Amino acid sequence: MLDRRDFLKLGGATAFAALFGGCERLPRKIVPFVIPPENHKLGEALWYASVCRQCPAGCGIVVRVAEGRAKKIEGNPLHPVNRGKLCARGQAGLQVLYHPERLGRPLILSGPRGSGKFREASWEEAIAALMAGMKKVRTDDPASLLMLTEPMRGHANLVAARFMRAFGSPHRVAWDPFGQDALLSACDAVFGVRDVPEYDIAGARYVLSFSGDFLETGLSPVHYGRAYGRMRQERPTVRGKLVHFGPRLSMTAANADVYLPIAPGTEGLAALGIAHVMVKEKLSPAAAAASSLWGSGLDRMTPDAVAQATGLVAADIAAVAREFAGNRPGLAIAGDAAASCTNGTFNVACAALLNALAGSVGAPGGVSFPNRLAPFSRYGADAALLLPPPESGYPALREAIGKMERGAFRMALLSGAANPAFCLPASLKFGEALLKVPLVVSFASFLDETTSLSDLVLPVPTYLEEWGDDIAPAGHAGDAVTLSQPVVDAYRDTRAMSDILIAAGKELGGPVAAALPWASFRECVDKAYGGKGVNLEEARRQGGIFTGKPGPSRPTPKAARPALPKPSAAAFEGDPAKYPFVLHVYPSIAHADGRGANLTWLQEMPDPVTTAVWRNWVEIAPETARRLGLADGDGVTVTSPSGSLEAFVVIHPAIAAGVAAMPLGQGHARYGQHAAGRGGNPFALLPAGEDAGSKGPARQSTRVALAKAKVAGTLVRTVNVEGQWKYENIL
Amino acid sequence: MIRPPCQAAFVAALLLFAATACVAVAQPPQPIKYSHQLHVTVNKIDCRFCHSSATKTASAGIPSVEKCMMCHRVIAVDSPEIKKIAQYWTEKKPIPWNRVTELPDYTYFPHFRMVNAGVACLTCHPGMDKADAAVQRQEFTMGFCLKCHRSRGVSIDCWTCHI
Repeated sequence: MLDRRDFLKLGGATAFAALFGGCERLPRKIVPFVIPPENHKLGEALWYASVCRQCPAGCGIVVRVAEGRAKKIEGNPLHPVNRGKLCARGQAGLQVLYHPERLGRPLILSGPRGSGKFREASWEEAIAALMAGMKKVRTDDPASLLMLTEPMRGHANLVAARFMRAFGSPHRVAWDPFGQDALLSACDAVFGVRDVPEYDIAGARYVLSFSGDFLETGLSPVHYGRAYGRMRQERPTVRGKLVHFGPRLSMTAANADVYLPIAPGTEGLAALGIAHVMVKEKLSPAAAAASSLWGSGLDRMTPDAVAQATGLVAADIAAVAREFAGNRPGLAIAGDAAASCTNGTFNVACAALLNALAGSVGAPGGVSFPNRLAPFSRYGADAALLLPPPESGYPALREAIGKMERGAFRMALLSGAANPAFCLPASLKFGEALLKVPLVVSFASFLDETTSLSDLVLPVPTYLEEWGDDIAPAGHAGDAVTLSQPVVDAYRDTRAMSDILIAAGKELGGPVAAALPWASFRECVDKAYGGKGVNLEEARRQGGIFTGKPGPSRPTPKAARPALPKPSAAAFEGDPAKYPFVLHVYPSIAHADGRGANLTWLQEMPDPVTTAVWRNWVEIAPETARRLGLADGDGVTVTSPSGSLEAFVVIHPAIAAGVAAMPLGQGHARYGQHAAGRGGNPFALLPAGEDAGSKGPARQSTRVALAKAKVAGTLVRTVNVEGQWKYENIL
Repeated sequence: MIRPPCQAAFVAALLLFAATACVAVAQPPQPIKYSHQLHVTVNKIDCRFCHSSATKTASAGIPSVEKCMMCHRVIAVDSPEIKKIAQYWTEKKPIPWNRVTELPDYTYFPHFRMVNAGVACLTCHPGMDKADAAVQRQEFTMGFCLKCHRSRGVSIDCWTCHI
């Protein structure tokens, strides 16, 4: 007879098997051919071309798909932006697709508002709730509908814009914390074109970077990274030189031939010091002709004066100026840290001025303004909707927050990876304002700080499961449209936002239905690009429509006689006696504004400069550490007038004195298990500052105090790449 | 007390059946009741006759409807299951089999390397020749793969399988 012990043993084995057998298996069919093609080889992977949406750069990708599953993402060799290259964030896109925390069912709020407690609902119930809200708002007050997204582009933006217009609401806000507001204002002031320029780094002989971290973050890191490689190695006898000014040794700075640390917010002054020498010594024809600048204040920007303000050495400024002017084409690029100061427009405009003085405007190896609108002329006024909006949307968002607080919005539609509740300064109280909107609907793949404040969350497909189109913000001359297609069948029960809007339009009827006359978003894209001599199937196979025939560049009316940008100093909140260090925050190469923080591949990717993984840190100079009694890896409290957080110390010899640098992106409270417990959110330290010239966000605008503290855990750094200075005890 | 062995064995068999059934329970029934036992053991058809890709490509493959019909145009045409195949063939539709054998996505397993090196199909698919409905009786854990790789002196480098 079977006794109890034997039964339990066998029963245990059964339960164990049942546990694993019961793991959710994907519904999988294995479908053979009816008649196989001759010489067909089974199991060989297919490569589908599409677009990467891990950051706004818009690189082309090809995805290896075997037996219906996406297995590897690579760069599309035919795509003009990245030419077969892809960065780590692009590679990590597979984890977005397969993420265990991805939303697969609509969620309806089940706890108090803002609690983040949801219950799963059917699509019928969710769409009914959405439509009930929309119909009520449309009858009562259509203008009280708010749509807050990350900057959208291509036909997805056209659909959203037309929906809002026909609905009767002007309140569309696109928010990107790293928008190019200062660059737009500066280009408008110096060149007379309000657009994002194209930098021909590959063709330049000499590149000046003013906190322009173009190799790791910024507008199009893969494109510029490749261009940088070509600048160095493509021409047999020319090896381009890169000189980097900035408060921190970034990855770009580490790649430069010369890295000159400067005080934060003085990038513009450094550029004017170079301009002073160029004009004074008439080092280039354009500089010789720019005598009008001299009288308007450039004469005072002597290397000595600039050296004092920036922390540079006067002789270095003069030497760089002579080299820059003597090795044309020369290119000056100002980056995010220069642009996101309270004097951001001034900093960027000064770099732009150097391009004008070097005669690099519209020339190979310089800056140009391709007419990216030209291929879409048939859209008339709507053509601009297809291009990526470069602005941050900061002023509009602040205005919207004010309106939310006053109860002007009755419904809000949120979408995209831009997470305002996480990456806006805490003093703007975005979260509290959003909860004053009676109905908040999010279109999202993940719950994050913003989407968890919603009443209704509608799961959307990832970019690997979606039809669409895309126009990259940089890296092409308006001759490239990227087409995206689902590389795999949808893994979860999701619906694209554009499809929901089109269906909602049909149900609302009237002008909204008329504005969106398609059955689906795919039909919208197909009709836009199909026909007219374009074989859509072939174009999708290639990854897009790359004509390779750039149109004429836009004219730069002011470039010939540039005006001197009005010098202004960067302001930093906080009393220097109480808060002795200037906080320099920079987008993390792995997480950008924080959207990549829930992907383990990106969390475990060592930061290229500090090799730190999984946690937040603050970089300080060795003498600062000595003064505060801090050792590498110590816990520290970082306090600004706006907030405080805990981090680990990384001592770095190449950071400007008096600066504490922190990467952005970590510190999520509600972004899943992999993003949790990684330290504080540096956005919470920032005041609600703005760049005076463009009203864009000013992140480099606060001082901080550091104090030793006990912080749980340790900062893991994979290897020591600092080299000699550590071993020789320079610290 | 003397334990009647047959009773213990019966309960054990019952529980084991429940265990394998749990593994297999996620599987919906196949569109056609195909019996490996009948084809392989009774009629002595080589595995590679139907799974002909096994010697050539990474995937062993499932026979095309055309291949089924090569024989079943004349053999057992009156059987209700064969009639279903004939129906697919007439409609020129593929048979939507449900996948039985799972290999994790992050491994690269080229069938042709194993088969051409003389590894018998039953090494990894034990009992398939006796199965009336296909079941995966062997979980493909790394330990299982490595045991064989080690004993045969084949590469156990990570990148051999995880590429």
